[in-house]
This record gives sequence, structure tokens and C-alpha cells, in this order.
Amino acid sequence: MKDCYLGIDIGSISTKGVILDTENNIVCSSYLWTEGNPIGAVKNLLDVLKKDLPESYCIKGIGTTGSARKLIGLMVDANIVKNEITAHAIGTLSRYPDTHTILEIGGQDSKIILLENGIITDYSMNTLCAAGTGSFLSSQAKRLGIPIEEFGTLALKSKTPVKIAARCTVFAESDLIHKAQLGYEKKDIVAGLCKSIVLNYLNNVGKGKNIKGPIVFQGGVSKNRGVVKYFEEILNEKIIVDENSHLMGAIGIAILAHNHKKDKSYTLNIKDISFETKGIECNHCSNHCELLKIYKDEKLIDSWGSKCGKY
Amino acid sequence: MNKIKIGIPRSILYYYYGELWTNFLKKINCEVIISPTTNREIMEKGNKIANDEMCLSMKNLLGHVFYLEDKCDYLLIPRIDNYGVDNQTCTNFLAMYDIIKNLFQTPVLNYNIDVVHKDTEEKGFIYIGIQLGCTKKQALEAYDQAKKQTEEQKQIQIKQNLQKLKSKKNKLLIVGHPYNLYDDLIGKPILDYLKKLDVELIYSDLFYHQMTSKLSKQLSCELYWKFNKENIGSIPVVENKVDGVVFLSVFPCGPDSLVNELVIRKIKLPCLNLIMDDLDSMAGFETRLESFVDVIQERKRKHEQKNNLIPTYGKL
Repeated sequence: MKDCYLGIDIGSISTKGVILDTENNIVCSSYLWTEGNPIGAVKNLLDVLKKDLPESYCIKGIGTTGSARKLIGLMVDANIVKNEITAHAIGTLSRYPDTHTILEIGGQDSKIILLENGIITDYSMNTLCAAGTGSFLSSQAKRLGIPIEEFGTLALKSKTPVKIAARCTVFAESDLIHKAQLGYEKKDIVAGLCKSIVLNYLNNVGKGKNIKGPIVFQGGVSKNRGVVKYFEEILNEKIIVDENSHLMGAIGIAILAHNHKKDKSYTLNIKDISFETKGIECNHCSNHCELLKIYKDEKLIDSWGSKCGKY
Repeated sequence: MNKIKIGIPRSILYYYYGELWTNFLKKINCEVIISPTTNREIMEKGNKIANDEMCLSMKNLLGHVFYLEDKCDYLLIPRIDNYGVDNQTCTNFLAMYDIIKNLFQTPVLNYNIDVVHKDTEEKGFIYIGIQLGCTKKQALEAYDQAKKQTEEQKQIQIKQNLQKLKSKKNKLLIVGHPYNLYDDLIGKPILDYLKKLDVELIYSDLFYHQMTSKLSKQLSCELYWKFNKENIGSIPVVENKVDGVVFLSVFPCGPDSLVNELVIRKIKLPCLNLIMDDLDSMAGFETRLESFVDVIQERKRKHEQKNNLIPTYGKL
């Protein structure tokens, strides 16, 4: 039996899972949409991974990261739950040890991580507003009737991207509608959008940061070649996009699960376990906390959100 | 004879003067009623009464005043214009007396601080005393005693705060107004979460204000908001003693949005800028706080590595 470690990265848009062997090589991986249902998505994810995992491997550790890390960590009984900044940095460093800057644009978060000799020295994240992230791009793609997968390729065809306000997506959207109604070509609008994402990112998240090469770009949006092109153009640096750039968070957390040294054997038979959450409003005091109760096999295992600590 | 009941909302200026007010009012034989710590009901009520451009803390204040309505004879809401030249307060502090007077039925005590026009704190207190039926001499005596008592308390708190700088844990300076930091629904969840991560917190409001006010000039000479100057002046004091700075403000606080942005560009410590609004979910904040503490930890490790390298190099 060979040991291996599972990393799960549950983002707002997509759920990623990676199984690494002890040498940090990928044994198998999976990527699917969260669709607002992290529990269901993880169940499907584990199902896929279970089919792909050769029988000679045994999972010794599970780590969770991403915005639903706490919930899923509880569900799969993870031995480590970590935020996505650390996970992304560790994942990237395992592939590109000299990385100085990590650009990351995901579904609802965008962040920049600066490293020096393999140590995180600074980072910044978008404020709670989701301007200029993946969810904005995909909703605009839908508006324009273009599949998100073709978005980047179409943007590359444009020679004169239209100018689109880059500060706030509400303005960007009205700008975009006006430009479309004026009769600009679709490819130019798409290219303009990609450019506005880059400008928005550099104005907000990257503001005042010393962006030096080697630069690694990851997160779902890194698959968009249009955005990559404008990053290269504006930063005047080569941008590295790994073929597994969408999996970096999951890889990082799997490595952390390995390093955590709290090994135990896991099976992937989560699918049969019933796992439910119930949201209630507590009327015990005037705070009216929104409580989330978590049931595993109809047994209450945890509840969150109480301000007074009664639950 | 029944004592006169004075209502004090547990919001904004309570966090600066609550102690002094209570001590003073008790000395002139009044009953003090303080609203409870902020809860959802108070906040929602305040939201309903408030106009949409007010900051979260002002909305909060209105909720607290609403709670006190019908429970007291007078409300204590000062009108603060300035504490001298270049020592102004946010315009909301100037406006709140009139806003509350117009929105609520309970009479508000006259209490005006405008040091430029010679309306000092002492004068304000004497005036309150006279309104509540004591003589000028009695009021002055009560004020002097209350002031002394409160100062002693404050000194102890400041000492405790500065004592924490000696701690071996990760240390963060929390820069923010006390009415945000210590409010149950605004700052407290954030501070509690940081404490859970085993971080020692040093609060920017518990410093010697004369010193911090002067030191703020190192960061900018042009600021004229008293409370902001006192807050950011704490940064030069602890610059080499803390591992990072967390700025905590509410949306849309005018002075904070300008001052914090300005300071973040000038200091070399790792910074985290958190802007709170009426958001119920802590998830976004937890990610930011947890990763911030991670980064600090990493930086410390790097620093230690560097320091360790020198002796080994020397041995070679």
C-alpha cells in the first residue's frame, strides 16, 4: 500500500480535488462546478476521485481550503483546514520554487501574494466587493452569448480592444452595454473586458505592490488567454501559467496535509453518509443570530454563527 | 425625591467619556442609565431611523438612543466642534446633538465643546450641573473629583495595554476608534477571532494621547482630526515592537478612509485594512485575518532564519 494525500479546494464557482503521492506528484485530480452546493459538489468530487484512484493507494490525510473549507473540513473529517492564501503559496512553490509574485483570480476573490526566498512576505486581497473576478467575467460572457471557454481565444483576435471602465463592475457593465449598442465588434468588447479585468486587478489588489518576476498566474481566470495576454502587455513580464494552475490551491493543501503529520486512514465513502445543514434564527436574545446546524447521519455534530457561544 | 435619570447611549462618545460622565453624574446625585451592549435589535432600529449616508457607528448611536427613549428624563449627547486649532472632530460629532434633538422626544442636556470659542470641557460640565439643579461650585467640585478618578483608571488601562508589548506571542496593533473596536457587533467579533488565533492585541486608543498626537506628525503634518491623530500616532511608538497593524473602520467613515489609506502607504509594517458594514457573515473576514496572521508568522520565521545565518557564517 502506498500513502497518498487528498487536497480539496472548494471555491465559490468550482470545486477542485487532487490526490498527491508522498513525492508530491499528482496521482489523480478532478475539477467540477460548485453550483452553490458545496456538499453535493464534494460528494461528486470524491466519487470521481475514488474511481480514478488506483487500488494500491491509501489516503492518509485530507486537507481543505477555499471559501467552504470549514464546512467541508468537518464533513470529510479533514486533518488540516487552511486559508487559500497559504495553500496557494505552498502549491505554487512546490512547482516553481523561485516564484516572486503569485497573481490569483478566482470566482469571488482575487489576490496577490508576494514571496521572497519561498516565504510569504506580503499579500493583498480584494475587499469584500467581487469586482473584477471570475464571476463577473462569466456573467458578462453569458450576457454576450459566448461560452466562457471561448472567451479568451476570441479576445486574442482583437487588435483594438474597446475601453471599459475598470474601477467598478457596475460601471463596467453599463459601459459594456453602451459599447455593444453603439455597434462595436464582439471580439473588441471581449478584449476590452479582459483588459479591464487586468486594470481593475492592478488598481485594486495590486496597488502599491512591487510586482517582480517570476510571476505565476493562477485561479480559474488564468485559463483565459486574453487576460494572460493583457497582464503580460501591461506588466511587461512573462507570465507563467501552469497546466494545473486551477489546481494549485488543492495541491498546496494536500502538501500541507502531508506535512501536518497526523496521518490516519481515510476511505472515500462519503457518498452514503447523509450530511445536512439547517439554518435557523435563534430567538433566545435580541441578537437574533443566524445559526447553522450541521447534521451528520442525522446527528448534530456542530453549529456555527452564535455570538454568545450558547451553541 | 426621585433622582433625575440621565440616559447615556453606549455608543460613540460613551467609549471616550462614559466613565467620566457616570462619575460626575453620580456625584451630583443623578441616576445614570446606560443602554445595553449593541445587539441586532438596536442595530436594526438604528438602521431604520438613520439616513442612508450616515456611517454604521452613527446608525448604531440612533439605535441606542431609541432604546433610552421613555426610560430617562434627559439624554446626554454632547455637541463637539473642536478641541482647539487643528484638533477637530468628524462633522458627525458636531451634528449628533441636533440630529437627536430633532428625532427624539426626550430632552437633551446642553453640553457644548468648542475650545476655539472658549467652550471647554470644564465649562460644559458646569453647565450640565446647573441644568440639573446644582450650584456652579458643586458642579466644579464634582467635575474635578470625577476627572481625577477617571484619569487614574485610564492610566492603569494604558499601562496594561503597553505591558502587552513585552509578550512573546505575535503582536498586532489594532488601529481604530474605541467605539468601533469594543462594540459587540462591529469590532468585537474580529478581535475575538484574532485572540483565538493566539495573537496579542495592542489597542491604538490606549496610549498617552499627548505623545501620540505629536508623533502623528511623523506620518503627516496636515491632519486635523484629533481622534485620528491620536490613533495613528501609536504606530511610531510601537513600530519595532509589533509584527503588524490592523486598521479597522466602518463604512463610510470619512476621516478613517482618508487617514488609513495615507498611513498604509507610509509605514513599513504589514497592514490589513478592514472596513466593516452591516455584514452578518464573518467568513470573508476570517480568511483575511487567518492569512494575515500566517504571513506574519512566516515573516518572523524568515527573520529568525536570517539571524541564525550570521553565527554559522562566523564559525566558518
